[in-house]
Amino acid sequence: MKNRLVLPAPSLQGEAKEVSKYLIINKMIELKNIEKYYATKGIKHYVLRHVTTNIKQGEFVSIMGPSGAGKSTLLNILGMLEEPTYGSYEFMGEDVTTLNERKRIELYRNHIGFVFQAYHLIDEMTVYENIEAPLLYKKIGGSERKSRIADLLDRFNIVAKKDLFPNQLSGGQQQLVGIARALAAQPTIILADEPTGNLQSAQAEEIMALFQKLNREEGITIIQVTHSEKNAQYGNRILHIADGVVKDDIAIA
Amino acid sequence: MFKLNLKIALRNLWRNRIITSINVGGLAIALAAFILVVMYFTYETSFDKTNPNYNNIYVVGRIYPDFKTNYTSPPFAKAIKQNFPEVENAGITKRGFFEFTMKNGKNTLFAKNFMQADYNAAKILDLKPTGGLEKPAGEVDRLSYLSEESMKVLYPNKTDNKPEMVGMGSSNSGITSKINGSIINNLHSNITFDGISIGNEIGQGENYGMNNYTTYIQVKPGTDVANLEQKITKLYRNELLKGETDQKTIEEIKSISTFLDPLSNQHLKPKAGNDAPYKILIALSVLGILILVIACINFTNLSIAQATKRAKEVGIKKVMGAYRFQLTTQFLAEIFIQCLFATVLALIVAELVLPYFNNLFQINLSVWHIDNDLIWQLPLILCLITLIAGIYPAIVLSGFKPALVLKGNFSTSKQSYWLRNSLLVFQFSIAVIFIIGLFIINSQLKYMRSEDLGFTANQVVYIKNQTLFNNPVKFGSLNFESVRDKILKIPGIKSATVATDVPDGAENGTNGYTFEGVQSSLDFVDVDFDYFETLDIKLKQGRFFSQSFSTDTANSAVINESAVAKYGMKNPVGKTIKGCNIDYKIVGVIKDFKAQGFESAVQPTIYTIKNPCGNYKTQIMLKIEENKMADALATLKAQWPQINPKDGQDFRYEFLDELYGKLFKKQEQLQSVFFAAALLTIFIAILGLFAFAKYITNGRIKEIAVRKILGASDIQIFKLINRSFLVMVLLANVISWPVAYILTKKWLETFAYRIDLPVLPFMSSALITILLTVITVSIQAKKAVKANPVDALKYE
Ligand SMILES: Nc1ncnc2c1ncn2[C@@H]1O[C@H](COP(=O)(O)OP(=O)(O)OP(=O)(O)O)[C@@H](O)[C@H]1O
Ligand SMILES: [Mg+2]
Repeated sequence: MKNRLVLPAPSLQGEAKEVSKYLIINKMIELKNIEKYYATKGIKHYVLRHVTTNIKQGEFVSIMGPSGAGKSTLLNILGMLEEPTYGSYEFMGEDVTTLNERKRIELYRNHIGFVFQAYHLIDEMTVYENIEAPLLYKKIGGSERKSRIADLLDRFNIVAKKDLFPNQLSGGQQQLVGIARALAAQPTIILADEPTGNLQSAQAEEIMALFQKLNREEGITIIQVTHSEKNAQYGNRILHIADGVVKDDIAIA
Repeated sequence: MFKLNLKIALRNLWRNRIITSINVGGLAIALAAFILVVMYFTYETSFDKTNPNYNNIYVVGRIYPDFKTNYTSPPFAKAIKQNFPEVENAGITKRGFFEFTMKNGKNTLFAKNFMQADYNAAKILDLKPTGGLEKPAGEVDRLSYLSEESMKVLYPNKTDNKPEMVGMGSSNSGITSKINGSIINNLHSNITFDGISIGNEIGQGENYGMNNYTTYIQVKPGTDVANLEQKITKLYRNELLKGETDQKTIEEIKSISTFLDPLSNQHLKPKAGNDAPYKILIALSVLGILILVIACINFTNLSIAQATKRAKEVGIKKVMGAYRFQLTTQFLAEIFIQCLFATVLALIVAELVLPYFNNLFQINLSVWHIDNDLIWQLPLILCLITLIAGIYPAIVLSGFKPALVLKGNFSTSKQSYWLRNSLLVFQFSIAVIFIIGLFIINSQLKYMRSEDLGFTANQVVYIKNQTLFNNPVKFGSLNFESVRDKILKIPGIKSATVATDVPDGAENGTNGYTFEGVQSSLDFVDVDFDYFETLDIKLKQGRFFSQSFSTDTANSAVINESAVAKYGMKNPVGKTIKGCNIDYKIVGVIKDFKAQGFESAVQPTIYTIKNPCGNYKTQIMLKIEENKMADALATLKAQWPQINPKDGQDFRYEFLDELYGKLFKKQEQLQSVFFAAALLTIFIAILGLFAFAKYITNGRIKEIAVRKILGASDIQIFKLINRSFLVMVLLANVISWPVAYILTKKWLETFAYRIDLPVLPFMSSALITILLTVITVSIQAKKAVKANPVDALKYE
């Protein structure tokens, strides 16, 4: 059952097509000289400076670095939740700084899935409804919605919990729901901030394995922030951030 | 999406059901009050609106240098119609100045206002006799109608609309009169009557001096009214100037002008008259709006209290692809559900309260009738309160940037701190103003009830009477002596008198009097012996009227202190005051007494027994011993036809203290309204505070737990939670004191006799609000304090 995956867009299926797609969107994310500072009392506190990097379609990137290094900030910028104070950012060939709110929300609906460090489930909604919410915004039909959610509940082993509210779940279970929600809309890219931060190691490994599978079999681009060297090994690239700059950019075989 | 949102909204409301019901209940009550105000407002502003020519009808009045009046003379209307083509129609009416007694067998009707109108006026005013308005046949023929209610009194079983012959006066008078049918007496009109008599022309032969009529004109649509007004003034002066040669009179006439007052003004703010009803209406509307706003603020404040939580929801939904307007509509829909529910509840509450409201304002409103304006007003109100209550979440909450709210320790408290606190302060300020107002109105009313009036109305019975007792005999009046003798034979009746006026607040007549060469106008009251004794009025100098002085019925006068002061008299007793071509000898000075209530100062007044220039002496007053009151009244009723044969067999009386008490009615109305308003605002504000405090303490449970672990005592925590609320309530008091001071001072100034502005209400309002706040907040704080810190910190 575990491998009964939700099928992504047909164009991404099969090796040959994946390759061709891979060639077309060579640069899914292109950052040039990204800077981010917070001005407090007129003094600029730089969180990021001169971050320049490309992330291609189908990559599985882990961002690492010490606490306060700016990892979450960088991920937020990638997710267009925050704007850089300087530099240019192109997402799928489009300049993000010129995007209007409506366009950005279209991107959220169709391409980007978020997994938050603090889960961020909606407390007033049940597990089922939390997973359903992005599908509703995407205007996906009722039966399609039902089958997708059933799949995800099944895959994450939380069928029994579907009518519970977030505060009735353990931290790890909430994180699972958060991931299921991110996957529900079948995004082309997943941005995950310490997705396994609250999970016990066995569970963490399962999630990582799942990410790897999504990345390999469905070509979903994954960018995760993690503190764990072991988790980072599931991906194919590690960006080390320290003092606001990319210190190391290592490819994993 | 909408279905899910709705489901979640309902679930949310249910989960916070106590707070929800508090909010919805508070709003429902406020809305009920507002609905009543709206209904009252609609009612008060739509008098005569059913008249098809509502917007083109004007009353023609006259302006003298020192007063304005609606009373005009019969020839004026005719002249206006003849001279100005833009005046489509002009007619006159005349109020009934006498109370008619009408009889049909055993049924008796006392028609207080049997009006007269010419056919034109009847047409302008859209009078509707059953079967339609008919034109009287000849020059002098009249068509008389009784209002449907009056007709019911005389002919309870009448079903046809045939003319009837009714007896006039007592049953042995032998006078009958023809009533042509019944007529609708629209109580929602400025023209009301018990009966009306319509002629082709009324007031024939009366000249420009007979200003006893009201003139109505109907102009053609689009008429330049200001211009017409000027033309009518010119016409009026010309008419008066005809044949006038006396230079002084000509000058006087030139100072008179006329005005046109729209029919729509007549009920609330007639140009000739006072606009107190209008002011009261406006004040009432302001009260209603304030109460509603205060209830809406509860919603906003609760939204603010929940904001941190809701902001997270906003952030998440946005990154999942929700547009801002979707969130806005979601929030509005949530508020709308509650408002809708509140509206339904409000209608029920309004329906329950309506009888009291109708009773208080002496009207007859009802919620459930087809042409009720509420049908379109209510949805409007509903949308409005949804907007007011939902504006904060709809605009501010929905605008949160996801990055801000989703990042770690986001808290909206800083941004909304000012807004939420100012809203609370505003609510409490209004409540404080109402409390102070209520206290001050109460003190003034208490003062009015307990203050020495200068006369005693207790145990004084006022008898309605139609016989004239003027002396010397005038228009076939009788001498009161024989009536008095017969009355005094009844055990328990201590004294009896008759006068032109009773001290019931009504204004007296005025006339010019000269004292030592100084001419001035004085109020006059024509009395009989025992007038002062019956009313227990205090003597200051000299003596009262007495039968042992034969001159008293000829030229003796008693004046009051104010009259002495007005002329600056020294030792007035024995001196002469001249009026109505009589040299009156002042025999006594009485202390002032408040015949006109507390609003106007006691007028300088002269009391005489003989006054050829005076009014009809018809008002009989008796002083009766308390314990023999019932017997005496029964005997009077039985013997009345023998005692006072000309009045007929209908003995009707009122107690003077009740009559005088009616003067306080307006103030008592105000007191009731204020009482309700103050209670409501406090109640609603406290409800809001309760819910608000609940949220705040819930939000601080973790903080409280940590403090407790760090060793804070319960008292310290109570203080901590109460402090910020106390500061706000104190601030509210400080803000509202000057406002309340100015408002109540203004109100007190409408009384000639009033209390000094007391300090106590200001102190009490502070005390009350502080106490209520501490209690309300502490109830919530108690839960947080009692909670086990471990529970609160478990999910850290
Ligand atoms: N709104 C803000 N104002 C000022 N400084 C901020 C703000 N948000 C973040 N910072 C600062 O930016 C820096 C980077 O924050 P960020 O959350 O990106 O760190 P991180 O690498 O994700 O750390 P962690 O591993 O602990 O999650 C921190 O030093 C933080 O103090
Ligand atoms: Mg972080």
